[in-house]
Amino acid sequence: MDRRAVIILSLATLLFHAWPMWRYLSAFDHEPVTFAVFSPLAPEDNGPPHMAEEFISNDPGLAMVHVGSICEMADGSLVASWYGGTREGTRDTAIYFAVRAPGESMSWSRPRVIVNRGSASKELHRFVKKVGNSIIFTDSEDRLWLIYVTITVGGWSGSSLNVKISHDGGTTWTGSQRLTLSPFLNVSELVRNNPLPMKGGGFIIPIYHECAGKFPEILWIWGGQRDQRITFRKTRMAGGRSFIQPSVVACGSGVARAFYRSCSGDRVVAMATTGDTGATWSEPQNLELPNPDSALNVLLLSEGRILLAFNDSKQTRNNLRLAISHDGGATWGRVAEIENSPGQEFSYPYLIRSLDGRIHLVYTWRRKRIKHVVFNETWINAQIEKASK
Amino acid sequence: MITFAFSFLFPFLLVMVAGQSIVGLFRDNVGGWRTTLILGFLAALIVVIPVGGFPLGRWLISINANFSIPLTALVFSKVWENASHIKLLDRKAFLSSCIFGLTAGLALYPMALGLGRFDPYKFGWSFSLLFVLLMVITVILVFVKNRFGIVLVACILGYDLGLLESPNLWDYLVDPFFALISGVMIGGRLIREIRSKKSHSHSVSWATRAEGSMR
Repeated sequence: MDRRAVIILSLATLLFHAWPMWRYLSAFDHEPVTFAVFSPLAPEDNGPPHMAEEFISNDPGLAMVHVGSICEMADGSLVASWYGGTREGTRDTAIYFAVRAPGESMSWSRPRVIVNRGSASKELHRFVKKVGNSIIFTDSEDRLWLIYVTITVGGWSGSSLNVKISHDGGTTWTGSQRLTLSPFLNVSELVRNNPLPMKGGGFIIPIYHECAGKFPEILWIWGGQRDQRITFRKTRMAGGRSFIQPSVVACGSGVARAFYRSCSGDRVVAMATTGDTGATWSEPQNLELPNPDSALNVLLLSEGRILLAFNDSKQTRNNLRLAISHDGGATWGRVAEIENSPGQEFSYPYLIRSLDGRIHLVYTWRRKRIKHVVFNETWINAQIEKASK
Repeated sequence: MITFAFSFLFPFLLVMVAGQSIVGLFRDNVGGWRTTLILGFLAALIVVIPVGGFPLGRWLISINANFSIPLTALVFSKVWENASHIKLLDRKAFLSSCIFGLTAGLALYPMALGLGRFDPYKFGWSFSLLFVLLMVITVILVFVKNRFGIVLVACILGYDLGLLESPNLWDYLVDPFFALISGVMIGGRLIREIRSKKSHSHSVSWATRAEGSMR
């Protein structure tokens, strides 16, 4: 290298670093990131107590279904996704999708496959051994997002996340985009619970790592417009090998609480809080609620109350209960039992609230069906009264 | 599009090195423009040939979609050396790249995989201290005329162009294979040095003893 080459290379170094620095500095112009918190309807606006049950996956031909998620479109229709196959982790698993048009008399559409290993391989231009967990949600422009797991090698610890978007309510979907979230061969990143929308667009999505360590993380994701590239980054919520599958509920513009599935010997639900919109999280604190190393899900109710759907046991998933907290998750009272049948499995609850104020709970029913339970806050209040008597 | 096209470069270079090694079994000289052109053509054909629904080169990408720029540069340097007998990365640059790969790997992977709560991977998502550190190291290497500095310039350029699937700077700097190769190279060098020191001290003491007995 002569002197001229040294000068040119040094200038090139400064120039090439200037671009990411300019992008970083220009981001300071935007308003600070905060959660888009929707005020739940007051219980008195919910009408009389209401509770109804139905199955989404009405195709009993599938040997195994698991990990359901649900969201509401702008027209009031509900859409759900889950995966099914001959058994968990087999190559024939596929991600299914169903729609329920608005109206009491409507029922869920016949499930159809939106992703399987063949379509994922084709769209990602690489080998995919199997597909797994997915979540489905809508953005402010009524586009449907599907974030789903693919595995190339090994089991769940070999998972990577991918995203697909539908601009027409799930009829057609964009090709899949791989999200690189881990530096080690991009493996061991999984998704389970609801995203939180951000003011001004974008979501924070609770995800988790499950390999050498088992810890919760946050995926920050934006974009997805027709000609706009999806951008994303990831931050860590906690370290160690004890907590996965965070379920996060926003309690204020920058305040949220996360509840963790326990992988440790403690076998209790743990909680952490953030005051800076998910950038940093407190150390997880064990709660008194049991957890049999199984997924749980939370939802914000009126008056700052938090609703939790969980397996109320340290050993089994044979029951599914609802609990409510009036103090931001510190203490809980059980309010209703949704399922209880020894020897069976009722797991992976997922809660949303629709615009009419109703609460929708979907969960894995005996690993055979995805069940949909609808109720309102008035029904919950009635259950609280019943439990207190 | 540029990311997809670039993803074929590393598999292509690997096939080229393999091809040159095979040619080396039959001929002393694997270089020359004609051999290189033929091997290049065959390597390009092999990586784009569809197998199981997608190009063969993408099968490697299924395992790791983000081969780092330094590892790509090392393989490219090997291909170039075989073809032209000119070392793009000399001994000093090669050693620097190995030290860099091992250091970056040790700084990143244990913590990124869950050792402790701190995640160094977060520094790669947008401009941060990692970028400043990279800039300083690059400028120093360029000023001391270490050719690995050029590779680091290529890293930040590749990041700006979005050549890899990952939007994280760390993935441009290091990958598990590069860290592993760097560790093996440095470990091997250390073992050789220790052995040569031992044999040197052994031969010195033997010579001293021999000298004493002669007296």
